[in-house]
Amino acid sequence: MKGAEFLVKALEREGVEIIFGYPGGAIMPVYDALLDSKIRHILVRHEQAAALAADGYARATGKVGVCMATSGPGATNLVTGIANAYMDSVPMVAITGQVPTHLMGTDAFQEVDIFGITLPVVKHSFLVQTSEELPRVVHEAFQIARSGRPGPVLIDLPKNVAAGSADFAYHDNEFDEHPPVPHAGSLAQAAELINASRRPIVYAGGGVGMACAVDEFREFIERTRIPVVSTLKGLGAIPTEHELFLGMMGMHGTKAANYAVQACDLLICVGARFDDRATGKLSGFAPHAKVVHMDVDPSEIGKLRHADAPVAGNLRWALVALARDLEITAWQRHCLALKESHAWNYDAPGPGVYAPFFLKRLSQLAGKNVIVACDVGQHQMWVAQHFDFCRPEQHLSSGGLGTMGFGLPAAIGAQLACPDSCVINVSGDGSMMMNLQELATLRRYDLPVKIVLFDNRALGMVRQWQELFHSRRYSEVDLSDNPDFVQVAESMRIPAIRVEQQKDVEWSVRRLLSEPGPVLAHVLIHQEANVWPIVGPGMTNSEMLDEVPS
Amino acid sequence: MKQAEGALVRLLGVTRRRRFDILSLKAFPAAEAGFYDVQMTVRADRSGSSFVRQIEKLVEVSDVEVIELTDPAETARAAHSGT
Repeated sequence: MKGAEFLVKALEREGVEIIFGYPGGAIMPVYDALLDSKIRHILVRHEQAAALAADGYARATGKVGVCMATSGPGATNLVTGIANAYMDSVPMVAITGQVPTHLMGTDAFQEVDIFGITLPVVKHSFLVQTSEELPRVVHEAFQIARSGRPGPVLIDLPKNVAAGSADFAYHDNEFDEHPPVPHAGSLAQAAELINASRRPIVYAGGGVGMACAVDEFREFIERTRIPVVSTLKGLGAIPTEHELFLGMMGMHGTKAANYAVQACDLLICVGARFDDRATGKLSGFAPHAKVVHMDVDPSEIGKLRHADAPVAGNLRWALVALARDLEITAWQRHCLALKESHAWNYDAPGPGVYAPFFLKRLSQLAGKNVIVACDVGQHQMWVAQHFDFCRPEQHLSSGGLGTMGFGLPAAIGAQLACPDSCVINVSGDGSMMMNLQELATLRRYDLPVKIVLFDNRALGMVRQWQELFHSRRYSEVDLSDNPDFVQVAESMRIPAIRVEQQKDVEWSVRRLLSEPGPVLAHVLIHQEANVWPIVGPGMTNSEMLDEVPS
Repeated sequence: MKQAEGALVRLLGVTRRRRFDILSLKAFPAAEAGFYDVQMTVRADRSGSSFVRQIEKLVEVSDVEVIELTDPAETARAAHSGT
């Protein structure tokens, strides 16, 4: 059997149903073998989109997303997507073709050291030098990608190894993928702190969903009745409409969430990593709080904030062990009062579309079986603030890397993963241009993704920062020469509508959701619309701005 | 650590990325076939224990032994608390 044939069969054995990729010279043997496989290959129009689609697929399902590209520029085009998966701990296997082994190191045509290039942005990587290594490499790649703290794994496959023949046997080593049970002493420490706290807050991150610990997390909250804040990736760990959910915390978090965290005496961090977007100025973050830090990755505990009770290991186990009744009624009332007094106001400031209201209405009409894949920028923050999520896997957002162009490919991956779900891509004019070519992929596979493109004719978030923190010195944020996005979509045979007035929000949202196939809504918003509140650079989460300083 | 493709480079890359200076480095075949013994002295203004945890995450690393650890963060905490 040829190496490529074995690779494809091994992928089938690992449960791979879809590969996102783009062919080329070095990877050609694998594309030949794919013709005889039941694995469905999705042809994108840029390899970056292959990696981002695999990422979206993985976020929506919890399964390992698989992408593939040829050597050289094909491989380097995957790098942003691999780094994106690394920063957000997404399970992915990226397969790259490589020049034949006898040409490696000679600057051959389309040769790059993709193994070396991706070393800092992969969980692990393999260069397959002989056919005999293939069975072990494929099996280990998937185990590593999905176990513990998930992440991307690269398999670099020289062409002669793919084309060569050998007798292959599947590799089935025994590898315990279950995270270790937390140390009993750590749990006892954490329990003591929880019992003694009077003003606890739970700070939930993306780890809750990735550990498949949502049910245990919700039981913990229902038992303890501790108010909850979340990171961007933690949204949906508890339904965002739950009374105890105070909102996202941090740079564009809700006032209630930020004030509560700053006042708490115990911060219970569950599957989060004290990222600077969440904490603001670290030295001023949760200044009165002791910390219980629960995470599967011991290297995150104590990395940025000392943990008074470090709880490393199996999150589900820890949450069950620590669930208990608490008497914190006064604190609960305080937090709920904060939530009420700082509730969002959806009054549109003028006749133009008010993006937060649009998203709120979309959320209300889209129903529960919805997945939202965002791009990066102001619209991303508005989604986090105003869209309601029931589960973390409904909200696909590039958090750690903040990759513009993520949204449409991720939506493609999510729609293929969940064909019965309503998948919405919320994007901006800057982000949409970065992977615009994937509208063709949407059409090719008839994927019914609903695209909401907020167009402010600017690189909005950067414009906002230049307005607030660079004395309105606007540098390279003018996108007033955008194409007509309706015409662009229609040229790709995707229906499109334009929305310009607040009075058009209701019909346009309903029109969007009722379209059976893909559709794009080009929503014009005010060029100077800002995301509020904002915690500026060097500021603590107590110091939120909610208007432009005079 | 295992003598796998890129293993040493990966170790050095993590050291650099986590902002630790390498003061000395020795790598030689271990008694167990297919493994290196690596002795590395590093310095940084960050917690050494966090660096150890980063190294332990590497797939090729089988064991990490800290010979001597002078942790600036822990030293500062001790000074602040008067211990």
